[in-house]
Amino acid sequence: MDELFGLSMNYIMFGLLAALGLSFVTVGYVALRNRIMFLMGLRNMPRRVAQTVLIVVGLMLSTLIISAAFTTGDTIDYSLSNTSFTLLGHVDEVIQRRGEEGSPNQIESTIPQEVNDRLRAAIEAAEDSNIDGYLPLLFEQVPLINPETGLSEPNATFAGLDADSLDGFPDIISATTGDHLDLSSLGPREAFINESAADELAAEPGDRIDAFVRSLPNTFTIVDVVEDRFTTGVGDFGAKEGLITRLDTLQVIFDKPGEVNVIAISNTGGVRDSVNLSDEVVSTLQAVIADEGLAPDNPRTTDVALEVEDVKQDLVEDSEQAGNVFATLFLVFGLFSIGAGMLLIVMIFVMLAAERKSEMGMARAVGTKRGDLIQMFMSEGMAYNVLAAMVGAGLGILVAFVIAIIMARIFSGFGINIQPHVTLRSVVISYSLGVVLTYLTVVFSSWRVSNLNIVAAIRDLPETGATNPEGATWVGYIRGVLNASVAVGAALVYLIVALRFTELAPLFRIGVLIALVGPWLYLLRGHSFSRPVDQRAVLQPIPKWPHLAFPFYLPALALVWLTRDRRPRSVPAGFILLGIVVAPVGLVLVALQDRDRPIAWSAGFGTLGLVVGALFVQWGVASDLAAPFALGFSLIAFGAAMVLRFFALPARPVFTTMGAVILVLWGLTAGNRLVWLVGELEGDIEMFFLSGVAMVAASTFVLMYNADLILALLSRLGGLFGPILPAMRTAVAYPLASKFRTGMTLAMISLVVFALTVMSTLTLNFDRLFLADTARGGWDVIVDENPNNPIDDLTAVLHNAGSGAPEQFRAVGRVSIDSTSLVSEITASNPRGDHRLNDYPVLGIDEGFVDGGDILLSARARGFESDGDVWEAMNEQRTVAIIDGFTLEGGGLFEEHSFSISGIDPDARVFDPILLNLWDPITGRNAKVRVIGVIDFGASATFSGVYVPERMFTRVFGEPDVSRHYVGLLDPGDSKAVAQNIESTLLTAGVQAESLKERIDDEQALGRNFFLLMQGFMGLGLFVGIAAVGVIAFRTVVERRQQIGMLRAIGYKRSTVALSFILESSFITLLAVFSGVGLALWLSYFLVTSDDFPSDLGGYFIPWFQIIFIGAFTYVASLVMTIIPARQASRVYPAEALRYE
Amino acid sequence: MTVEQERLDDATPESADAPPIIQALDVVKTYDTGKVKVEALRGVSLTIHHGEMVAIMGPSGCGKTTLLNCLSGLDIIDSGRVSVDGVDLSTMSDNDKTEYRALRMGFVFQFYNLLPVLSAVENVELPLLVSGVSARESRERALSALDTVHLRDWAEHKPAELSGGQRQRVTIARALVNDPAIVWGDEPTGDLDSTNADEIMDLLCDLNDRHHQTFVLVTHAREVAERTGRIIKMQDGQIISDNRMIDRDAGIWGPAEPSETAKE
Repeated sequence: MDELFGLSMNYIMFGLLAALGLSFVTVGYVALRNRIMFLMGLRNMPRRVAQTVLIVVGLMLSTLIISAAFTTGDTIDYSLSNTSFTLLGHVDEVIQRRGEEGSPNQIESTIPQEVNDRLRAAIEAAEDSNIDGYLPLLFEQVPLINPETGLSEPNATFAGLDADSLDGFPDIISATTGDHLDLSSLGPREAFINESAADELAAEPGDRIDAFVRSLPNTFTIVDVVEDRFTTGVGDFGAKEGLITRLDTLQVIFDKPGEVNVIAISNTGGVRDSVNLSDEVVSTLQAVIADEGLAPDNPRTTDVALEVEDVKQDLVEDSEQAGNVFATLFLVFGLFSIGAGMLLIVMIFVMLAAERKSEMGMARAVGTKRGDLIQMFMSEGMAYNVLAAMVGAGLGILVAFVIAIIMARIFSGFGINIQPHVTLRSVVISYSLGVVLTYLTVVFSSWRVSNLNIVAAIRDLPETGATNPEGATWVGYIRGVLNASVAVGAALVYLIVALRFTELAPLFRIGVLIALVGPWLYLLRGHSFSRPVDQRAVLQPIPKWPHLAFPFYLPALALVWLTRDRRPRSVPAGFILLGIVVAPVGLVLVALQDRDRPIAWSAGFGTLGLVVGALFVQWGVASDLAAPFALGFSLIAFGAAMVLRFFALPARPVFTTMGAVILVLWGLTAGNRLVWLVGELEGDIEMFFLSGVAMVAASTFVLMYNADLILALLSRLGGLFGPILPAMRTAVAYPLASKFRTGMTLAMISLVVFALTVMSTLTLNFDRLFLADTARGGWDVIVDENPNNPIDDLTAVLHNAGSGAPEQFRAVGRVSIDSTSLVSEITASNPRGDHRLNDYPVLGIDEGFVDGGDILLSARARGFESDGDVWEAMNEQRTVAIIDGFTLEGGGLFEEHSFSISGIDPDARVFDPILLNLWDPITGRNAKVRVIGVIDFGASATFSGVYVPERMFTRVFGEPDVSRHYVGLLDPGDSKAVAQNIESTLLTAGVQAESLKERIDDEQALGRNFFLLMQGFMGLGLFVGIAAVGVIAFRTVVERRQQIGMLRAIGYKRSTVALSFILESSFITLLAVFSGVGLALWLSYFLVTSDDFPSDLGGYFIPWFQIIFIGAFTYVASLVMTIIPARQASRVYPAEALRYE
Repeated sequence: MTVEQERLDDATPESADAPPIIQALDVVKTYDTGKVKVEALRGVSLTIHHGEMVAIMGPSGCGKTTLLNCLSGLDIIDSGRVSVDGVDLSTMSDNDKTEYRALRMGFVFQFYNLLPVLSAVENVELPLLVSGVSARESRERALSALDTVHLRDWAEHKPAELSGGQRQRVTIARALVNDPAIVWGDEPTGDLDSTNADEIMDLLCDLNDRHHQTFVLVTHAREVAERTGRIIKMQDGQIISDNRMIDRDAGIWGPAEPSETAKE
């Protein structure tokens, strides 16, 4: 994989290495200039070994997840490209008839001998040294039977290769000896068989295999088994069975004298390096084709028009892209866990600081500066970090290898061989990203813990901030707002403006520069330079380290500069006003303030939150985007709460209201229930993450500020708990007293539980949608004919073959398929429908299909009263069409569809008919049809494409390339047996029959298994929360040592002390699990029952089993983490514990 | 009867009115930190009677808190014997000792050691709850104990919301709530100013007078010790004097019966 989020992986690596270097340099600086603090930091590490181990585990989890995501990307990239290289062998490009977009083995139209000869001569004349092979091939689909074993394969590729042209293609390799085989040595009734077909038929050299052409057997003796290759009949990853013989032999059998359907080109070089020459070779080939008058000029070209496909380069690029997609997917889904991991790091350091509070207080008292403490913690954190990231990156690779093994099983049916693989670049990126993220978190945490009150720290008293004499006053409020605006707000406003409204970019770049001075001045706040001359301290040096702030803003400036090309419309006047007024006023203000004067930061930032939130809401409503809208109102609610708290409103009602507002509004936004207020808002997968973070944060606030009700309830119900009441009471009281750490742990666990539950719930509801009976559209068995053995009347053919299957038929319908069809929507800007042509299946349906099916429609054109009327029109009219639900814009939730229609509102039940233009690129014929119905989303996966009456299909596309027959049964439960009966009866005709229910089940199982894998990966985040529970438990044993001693003195037994710890962890974990599950069900309910959900299921399904599993796993794991500290606590000896204060 | 029991009986003053509640004989306790061995108690013997109020005094490190811990069963001894109410502590399991403490002992510590996360009444009722008393009865008795220490109105306040004196009174209420036979106090006034210290001592003396519970207080403060009826002085892990108050009004103290404190 070479790109992530559109950025080159090399750039990412170099950027991260630079950041890594910078973080090492800062720690190196501390080691050299402040050795004592550096050593103090390091010497803290071995003080408590168990705790150190836990910290390393906590710190490594983010890196682990990042590393696992990247390695999975590498694995997919490598496995797919490796499979591609192996299968294509020396074939780099193919030349085929224009419009033949399917797999080579599906190609119908052929290249005549004369064209082939002319082209070969012209290419040879071009003397391109990059080309070293030209191989004409004929691929045909045939059923194969091995009479000796009785095994069969209804749809194998019979490949005919020009034996005289194999010089550049040493790809016919014996599977047993590894030798290159000579195709020209084959007799007219001899063939090689590839490994896949040999496996399927249990064929060995010497066996005689029957290949059926027009239902007549042609017997071939197998000379050898050859490796699976493109040239040995492998059409695609899913259809690998092939039989190989000489081209002339195949041309005779199929009565296609001199004809081929593919010309393979080999570039100079080996299998892998040759792909680098593809661009040059393709231009040579295109030039030659153009010179020979074979280039396709337009879709109407009727002569033999050829085109070049650089298949190998395409496949390699696809592999890389798939690698990127997977890495991105895993990384994005891992975001919850990475975020939780960072919360854990903050918490670990806060707790470390709490543990060392008194010694830090003493250190400060004897002259250690705040900066020294930061440096000490930073050194210690970096030491853990370097180690943890290493372990994390390594374990991440292990996790990815486990994922690879699971994926290999999931995708085994697709012929993709998933092999674990990791690149050095990914390891470097994972390690560097892990170290840098942890470093930043550690620096932030160190700064936070260094802000301690010396006396409170020494005496272990609760930390109390200085009382703000301007608290709850307007003066204090305005000062807070101005300070916050200058410190961050102005810079933020400038950045947003500069990013969005870049026509004023130069102006705003200057603005950003001005705003950046703000923080620096803030750091100098109260410095004597701002005082009258006679009051200035003569020797007071100006601190130098505020200069360090500048490099952090350089990337911001670079971002502004890099995005200067965007050209949006206009800048709201409010921005300009903010830019002009706030920053300069604030600057003056901060410069003149006393350092000792407290600033109401919360009120300041709260107000900024209100402003930015309002802008976000406006942006969301104006652009119809759900994410900024929802983020905006969340910011408004949070900001308002901060401001109200500044004005001394009680915490409980303020934060409870804030949380409730956020929870309700996210639910309503996700379910698009606010259409009446803000119109239709669009959201994508990012809403899942944003909603998770916002809702979990909101619910954590609500819980933490109301959980004392639980304690009160506990007291009331005290009698019910009997002897465990005392343990229960302390177990609930302690977490409630430490809101910060409990809230953090709660958030970590509920975030991940939330994500897992939402995924499970949506997967279940989608499953129900696609597995519902309506997904089969009234049909039970699909019968695919072999293109070489067309079946006109399935029932008659079966009757003739003596099968009893037709007696169980309720209905039979036929769908005609053309392998090359183009569709375009006729709109005002495309009135003739000759632009924006999309490859999309057009299917002709006969009366049997219309009468026998029961495919639900989600919308119908105005004028049709019922679904039945629409289907009836398909029988009676010619220029009508029904389309699948995926084609509607926004109709597909998770995948981009290759053809989308803009003229039908995805939510409408009735629409004004629109017109489509259907093109056949081979014949150049076209016709306009009127869309009168849209297939329900649940059935669209089974019935995708544009459905037109058979007469219309024939008019545009002529005789179908192949037909698919749908069979409805009297008893749908027999579908599997009937399918087997049909397939075995019509084996020689190469017919493939399948139970529709089974097919849909299998397809869904793939998606479901993949989602399970993703859930497993996301479940890694649970370990973060569980580790947090462990960290807290270990910490509390130390913290409450004396209290445990006292409890033991007054009669707590050892078991009661241990129980109290277990109950405490249980309380936090269960609260988190219930919160996560509750929020997830709340959000999913809104999603599933909203109009946006593709189909009305008539219900909302909850995956109770999975939810119970997730909850139970989390709970049990957190208990396991608590057992050791609980035992430690129970073994605290009362006299010893009481001895020291 | 074992030889040790005979010696214990010998240590009991024949003239004492009340039966002995605590008897210690040749109690030795050494702290071994690996590098240093500290002999905290070097063969201490003493007898304390029901209803007595005893102060143990001595300089820092003399072993007085260790003695209190060993007598109350909070700590284990290396050799010698301690019996409480006639029961040898060394024969009791940890759970038995814990249960005994919950039912028969109360503790008052210098730094209160209240659970900061529980309200005053919840702190006070904890010993009852762990003894299996019902929640309702525990609450009633806890409120009554708070009433005794004049803190009924502060029942729902958390320790952080109380003054030092109030906190110590909550601790006393907690110590008394299960109507213990013995109340142990480790520097109960050590963290209080003199006014609060006087108030606490008034309270303890009053309780001792009214309920005849045994109080054993470890203290540095002479004025605290002099409010009790007996002062045991320690130095270097040994008892160096044991005096009883003869006339409180006159401030006359005389040596306790020699047999009350077995000397080496």
